[in-house]
Amino acid sequence: MNNRYSILIVEDEKSIVSFMKTILTANDYDVLVARDGEQALMMVNSHCPDMIILDLGLPDMDGLKIIKAVREWSQVPIIVVSARSREQDKVMALDLGADDYVTKPFGTSELLARVRTGIRHIIGRSANAEAMPDGVFRAGDLSVDYKKRHVYVDGEDAHLTKVEYKIVSLLSEYAGRVLTYDFLIKNIWGQNANYNNQILRVNMANIRRKIEKDPADPKYIFTEMGVGYRMVDAD
Amino acid sequence: MKRSLLRQQASRPIVSNVLRTLFFLTVATGICILLRMIDNRDTYVPMLFILFVFLVARYTDGFWYGVGASLAGVLLVNYLFTYPYFNFNFTLAGYPITILCMLVVSTATSMLTTQNKRQEQIRIEAEKEKTRSNLLRAVSHDLRTPLTSILGAISAVIENDRILGSEERLSLLHDAQDDARWLIKMVENLLTITRIDADENTRLYKEPEAVEELIASAAAKHRKRFGEPPLSVSIPSELLMVPMDAVLIEQVITNLLENAVLHAKGADRITLSVRREDSNAVFEVSDNGAGIPEKLLPHIFDGYFRQNYEEEGDSKRNMGIGLSVCETIVRAHNGTMSAFNKEGGGAVFRFILPLGEEY
Repeated sequence: MNNRYSILIVEDEKSIVSFMKTILTANDYDVLVARDGEQALMMVNSHCPDMIILDLGLPDMDGLKIIKAVREWSQVPIIVVSARSREQDKVMALDLGADDYVTKPFGTSELLARVRTGIRHIIGRSANAEAMPDGVFRAGDLSVDYKKRHVYVDGEDAHLTKVEYKIVSLLSEYAGRVLTYDFLIKNIWGQNANYNNQILRVNMANIRRKIEKDPADPKYIFTEMGVGYRMVDAD
Repeated sequence: MKRSLLRQQASRPIVSNVLRTLFFLTVATGICILLRMIDNRDTYVPMLFILFVFLVARYTDGFWYGVGASLAGVLLVNYLFTYPYFNFNFTLAGYPITILCMLVVSTATSMLTTQNKRQEQIRIEAEKEKTRSNLLRAVSHDLRTPLTSILGAISAVIENDRILGSEERLSLLHDAQDDARWLIKMVENLLTITRIDADENTRLYKEPEAVEELIASAAAKHRKRFGEPPLSVSIPSELLMVPMDAVLIEQVITNLLENAVLHAKGADRITLSVRREDSNAVFEVSDNGAGIPEKLLPHIFDGYFRQNYEEEGDSKRNMGIGLSVCETIVRAHNGTMSAFNKEGGGAVFRFILPLGEEY
């Protein structure tokens, strides 16, 4: 019996499975492989992996279906693998409950970084309070004080507006993960808000000018073009 | 080929075809009725109908509408314009033959026009095919070099497992990695071209995007791949929103930056800048290298300049296709692209995108 994290790879392309399996095993993860959607669902049920890496283009079913089916009963982190040209797929996958994505073709370091973030979130979920004992999120010179509802850069108040604070604190709660435009808008302006990217963009532009030293080279909040925003991991 | 043409012809909605047919028939009938008020002879009636059946065949898809129109025309003529009026009568001497002639003539016309249309389609199709195969030839040539080097490097590692030191092995694998990356880039560019060239009225997925986000994202990716020469970035202090397909424009910037790294000889600095000029956003990638050779400038976005310009010998990194992709993308955004040399030395690639209505 070991206590390594188990990862289920759902992918039909043999050579891709082989390279992912090699690097994940080499980095001390247990690897399970499913070649199609049906097998994947079966294995999620029987093995309860700690994480799923899911290719959206499967031979027998749409990968989005698998996300839906799994999310009905499990919060296991799902990392989606998709081709570059299908931006919409990524957004849909994230909105359906996937945790993160990598774009084909991806390098090993990128995949491993995503996996580590995902694993950290399993730990984080059960022990969120312990991870931030004083109710403060810290990343570099940036800190988000959830009690005082203030954001500090270099110890100085960044003077965010209410909405700006909401955006930053939401991103920091999910630090390391991509939040889609839609998710952010719904959580900040409400479920019935009109889908309007513009307001979000304008607010982000203001936030960037308040917390980033160089808005063209951000250190804390990154843009995932066409998908959403990602906050840098906490220290 | 034939099947796809037929499918294309059927693409115009049936409703529009039917409406056209009805319109021409009504006009023909109307003119005949008007003419009969002036002149009671009806010799012109079949002629007029043949003319309008011809028009139907010309302005509808496929020949069934033409055939239908000629049949309807025959019945209309018989019903409305031959004695006894408002009755069908196929027994009158001579009339069956007139009617038969009209049917044959109009059907033949319809079929001829349809055939003409098909030939036109085939001609356009053939022209597209020619451009495509030209591109394909240029690309295949470009793909062979990196593929050979990848295959060579990997074979060397596999077949000389015992002999190679870890340093040599790593260096071979690094080369293979570089070439594989370059291939990916090339394939992405090709996908983009097919996406845009597929039909003329390409619908880009355009949304207003914040320029600073685009620039930051492209610059970050670039810095991750190339450490040298350093990239400096300048953006306007105001928020600039430009309607665009962000993935494609990011690709343009990435291509231009990479072009500067690989081709600007002697450059120790690359600059990426955006500024607003009236109702346009002006993007510039510039370097302080040797600049673009004068004789290359007029053809720099053609994509095929490599064939005529071989000074560097067998340089494998041909950006010709990359640059022509950039230009295609920018043009699809109703923008313009240009390349020139700076006075103090170095090349500038500039593209301009319109800001849209709000400004």
